Amino acid sequence: MDEMRCFCASGQLGHGIPRPAFERGISLKPDYIGADCGSTDIGPYYLGAGTCDGHPDIIRRDLEMVLLAGRRLDVPVILGSAGSAGGEPHLQLTLRVLYEIAQRHRLSFHLAVIHAEVDKSYVLNKLAANKARPCGRLHELTAGHIERATRIVGQMGMEPFIKALDAGADVIVAGRACDAAVFAAMPVWKGYDKGLAMHLGKIIECSSLSAEPGGRDAIMATLDRDGFVLESMNPIRRCTPHSVAAHSLYEQPDPFEVVEPGGRLDMTESRYVPIDERRTRVTGSRWEPNPVYTIKLEGVEKLGYRYFSLGALRCPVSTGQAKSILAKVEGIVGELLNGDFDPRDYRLKFRAYGVDGAMGDGETVRAQPLEIMVVTDVVARTPEIAQAVCSVARYNLLHYFYDGILATGGNLAVPFVPADVSGGEVYEFSLYHLIEVDDPCELFPMELIEIREGARRG
Amino acid sequence: MARLRDLCHTLRSKNAGPFQITFDAIFRTEDEFQRARESGVFTPGNLAQVLRYPGQDIKVVFYPAGKAIKVTVPRRAPSGSFDDTDVFGCQQHAPLLDLDIL
Repeated sequence: MDEMRCFCASGQLGHGIPRPAFERGISLKPDYIGADCGSTDIGPYYLGAGTCDGHPDIIRRDLEMVLLAGRRLDVPVILGSAGSAGGEPHLQLTLRVLYEIAQRHRLSFHLAVIHAEVDKSYVLNKLAANKARPCGRLHELTAGHIERATRIVGQMGMEPFIKALDAGADVIVAGRACDAAVFAAMPVWKGYDKGLAMHLGKIIECSSLSAEPGGRDAIMATLDRDGFVLESMNPIRRCTPHSVAAHSLYEQPDPFEVVEPGGRLDMTESRYVPIDERRTRVTGSRWEPNPVYTIKLEGVEKLGYRYFSLGALRCPVSTGQAKSILAKVEGIVGELLNGDFDPRDYRLKFRAYGVDGAMGDGETVRAQPLEIMVVTDVVARTPEIAQAVCSVARYNLLHYFYDGILATGGNLAVPFVPADVSGGEVYEFSLYHLIEVDDPCELFPMELIEIREGARRG
Repeated sequence: MARLRDLCHTLRSKNAGPFQITFDAIFRTEDEFQRARESGVFTPGNLAQVLRYPGQDIKVVFYPAGKAIKVTVPRRAPSGSFDDTDVFGCQQHAPLLDLDIL
């Protein structure tokens, strides 16, 4: 094989794959169809709650597109970070949809399912063996973090995918996976350079974001022994040397190197050369394996339940002293509820949009706003406590008598009732740590399932 | 004197994982990139005042191939935690817009 056509259908499967660019890519007969389905970018909630960021109907639509195309071309379909967070519930939801599609179209294929949820006892053992450390600047891992975690996943590298390809998989559905590995596995399996394959994966896992103008359309990377050529499958999007090089910055702390499972991608010597107006060739990227293979763990802890309420300050007498009013009402609410609720069971915060809602303590500008949206935000041990505190807080804000008050009918323009809205469960990232492993596949058990004419065998 | 926003075609902030935020200033031309690079503005000490992070926490990388300057800081609160104000970290770039570049 002299070249390989590496196709990314979507950087976030389940949010609607743009159809024309996808069909154009398929018409070019890629050697595999890859899609990334998740990220930590969406916050800790989905990993904790076991739900998907995308709507099941859209996941079905997208999955049907890639699955039917993959079977029609008879090339592997490779999906990573199934169901946004890549834990067990996310994987199972994705598989349920996949089985429905297989049945409806009477598809036949070999399916590999790769699990990524990690047992707490395994992580505790790694901690005890001194084989766990923070990924970047954050707290050291403790047994408490592990025990309190709602769910922990490991981010797999390319090795579990390669194992699945070795086993003859036509379709691979993996839990949490390194985005680039989803796309690098097939080239590396076929003997292409690992540095080029990982760099290619890093770029195409974001679909056409590396183009000008950037977008969510499918993208193709054509890989040979010395480099790869990028082309967005939407003709209006141009992959220029500048746009592709600049993409190395995206969501990464360093454009010259990316630390990945098992090693680091070194882009210091990467070169970006135009082929024509819409295509750029990349060469010179190198892979440096680590002497010790590490896997990144992601885990979340449950903080409780949220209720929130919205109301706007418009009176200039109140907007001018909003922060002081909100601080005083927080104090009043704390005192009022003292004895009714344990203060450790809830947290109350007024978020003042128009003052510093987006930036908090990082806000550098102070200006007199026309109006201020106050979000009364409460997270508590139970939904009942959250709702009760939220109602007391927004009512006390509504009728607080601040200095110089003229408008004694109430302080908030409330846009709708009921005013206290459930925000559901609340989680926080508590694990983002690297552990040393002996075998890159040890955390990621694989199941092989044969599907014939839409029915599962065995 | 020019404002940073007038030299850049992209000026953004974004999560780099749940515990870091990264800022990208991507310049329109090589000259403008060099001008900003040599302006002395992109030092941890200066950025500490502008972004309100301790200087020792701020990492600055110059990236000629992308005509870009990257600044990475630890988040004030992890993405999506109770004290967070910006789950995606994508609106934290505002203080950089009006930086004066000599």
